[in-house]
Amino acid sequence: MKNKINTLIIAFMLMMTNVFAGAIRVVTTTQDLKSIAQLIGGDKVDAFGIATGYQNPHFVDPKPSYIIKLSNADLFVTVGLDLETGWSPSLLGSSRNPKIQKGSPGYVDASIGVQLQQVPSSINRGEGDIHIYGNPHYWLDPVNGKQIARNICDGLTRISPENKAFFESNLKSFNETLDQKIKVWNAQMLKYKGTKVIAYHNEWCYFENRFGLQIVDFLEPKPGIPPTPSQLVKIIGEVKSNSIRLIISSPYFTTSSSDVVAKQTGAKVLTLATSVGAFDSIKNYFDLFDYNINQLINTLK
Amino acid sequence: MIRKILIFPVWLLFAHHSIGQVDSLASDSLLLLQIQSQLQNNTPIPAQPRTSPSNNPDMSVIGDFRTTYQDNQNRHFDANLAETEFSFQSVIDPYAKADFFYSVSRDAASGEFKGEIEEGYLSTLSLPFHLQLKAGKFKQQLGKINSLHGHAISFIDKPNAYVRFFGEEGMNDEGLSLSWLLPNPVFFQELTIEETDGPRESPSFSRSTGNHYLTLIHLKNFWDLTANATLELGLTGITGVNYTEKSTQIGAVDLTYKWKPVQMNTYKSFTFQNELYWSRATFDSTEVNALGFYSLASVQVAKRWFLTGRYDYTNKPSSAKFVEQAYSATLGWYATEFQKIELQGKFTSANEADEENNFKKEFTQVLLRWVFVIGSHGAHQY
Repeated sequence: MKNKINTLIIAFMLMMTNVFAGAIRVVTTTQDLKSIAQLIGGDKVDAFGIATGYQNPHFVDPKPSYIIKLSNADLFVTVGLDLETGWSPSLLGSSRNPKIQKGSPGYVDASIGVQLQQVPSSINRGEGDIHIYGNPHYWLDPVNGKQIARNICDGLTRISPENKAFFESNLKSFNETLDQKIKVWNAQMLKYKGTKVIAYHNEWCYFENRFGLQIVDFLEPKPGIPPTPSQLVKIIGEVKSNSIRLIISSPYFTTSSSDVVAKQTGAKVLTLATSVGAFDSIKNYFDLFDYNINQLINTLK
Repeated sequence: MIRKILIFPVWLLFAHHSIGQVDSLASDSLLLLQIQSQLQNNTPIPAQPRTSPSNNPDMSVIGDFRTTYQDNQNRHFDANLAETEFSFQSVIDPYAKADFFYSVSRDAASGEFKGEIEEGYLSTLSLPFHLQLKAGKFKQQLGKINSLHGHAISFIDKPNAYVRFFGEEGMNDEGLSLSWLLPNPVFFQELTIEETDGPRESPSFSRSTGNHYLTLIHLKNFWDLTANATLELGLTGITGVNYTEKSTQIGAVDLTYKWKPVQMNTYKSFTFQNELYWSRATFDSTEVNALGFYSLASVQVAKRWFLTGRYDYTNKPSSAKFVEQAYSATLGWYATEFQKIELQGKFTSANEADEENNFKKEFTQVLLRWVFVIGSHGAHQY
């Protein structure tokens, strides 16, 4: 009898420790990171992205159902730079999973090595939602996609060193495809270099600098503060004096204030995709830029 | 044989240590890769830290300033800094994290400031089998409101049933809390067992002078009904002794429905939340069965505006004959994540005159509070 119990206990323990056998379970905070993890990990990974593509990644509700995903994850990939500070630390703390805690091999900060923009020299909440380490929307520059992919590839290799060659080869083809695409995107946007635009929230600086747009002002008077009537008056003046034709918004902001400016000035409001999955046609990281650049060209031409 | 079984958990701990060793090797090779690539590039990358290079814990201070009108008090108007909370939170080492909340509150009548450790506990991060252990003084896993700090709820006063059964501070005892994430593939289930010393100031429970302690069991069930809607059902059982050193048992049920559209989640939301407490207490020779509950609906009418309505019904744990009901409405304006103003109107009626309410059976209260936070960004609760 005792023997049987012992065998059962051993079997149970082996079951618990050998859940590894299948695909590497990757949980990412955003859909962009999920897409890149899938492109690098191929069929060796089973990836889940927490924030949907049309959701504001600053404000995700830490639902307990995400804890289940994290408790079984082998790799956790985060955008970092405090983008997810309101929700991912509490989820990680409740995950009971030592493999993916900050500092563990299964924790990947995708921002490592990325040249950050808008790093503040001083911090003052009076300036609104300022990110103390720099603007966190760096995945919107496709060149940074290469560094994100490198970080994810390193993370996957730490978890599964036997598949190193596979991940590296996928990384190589990801970079090659991206390089080709970047050439095309740059060529498409060349004509519109220096185009002045207005944006709703300060989340486009990496995209702006890569493709030569010039964001003149934001509808939010300060990051995270909803548009005020006086700000709209200021924007309307700027749109008129600079002959601005375009206001860029994101899927998770109402366009009511942008529409007011559009009505007063004739500028067009364009909701661009901030992440993979923002619109149905955006299935992966490459589609994200295909979509946004096509939308921009169609509106500006 | 039995010894072999006992050895297993020890072996598991060591197994986890060996994972830690792999960690350092992997990060070493990562460092080496980074050094190599930087040497190849020759262009120095300016230092851009991703996390704060400081050993200080995350710190914040929360102020809760209130002005009140109460016609059940001799002095009708009052203004006071009801609570100042200092929080310090950090990971201790790779195995655990710590949370401390020091709260200073002021008694409006006496004017005295009273400081206390509201919470101070360690939580493990590396126990096997999806277990998590808390040790210290912590808000216990009773229903929904108890685990939240006062400034985090969408109304100003605590529900009458909660205050009558557990006191203003609620169940916030010292001891151990072990929670287990059940391996349920269909929905979230968490079982928590807490063994604590026995609270010092609580209408239902007391710290025994003998060998009686407080045991609490909580089962949390959580379903994603759709991408935008969730349902939570919590079941709690508590057993301990009351001030007469006789036993008190409390059963509690909490049911919360939340709707929050994923895409526009900062603009619109709706919450329907209910908690019911039922207590069986023996006082000397008599047994009292008492009931209390609240039911609330909260609507986010615009990005910054929240409207909450609540109905309270309660007995006292010491008297089932006493019945108190209250109706309240709260309007909240959330300026940013760091500041909010709430205005609450409340009408209470009871069938017996009560000393705490200045022997008034019916009275009205108007509460206004301003909550403000400085310091590190706190986590949101769901």
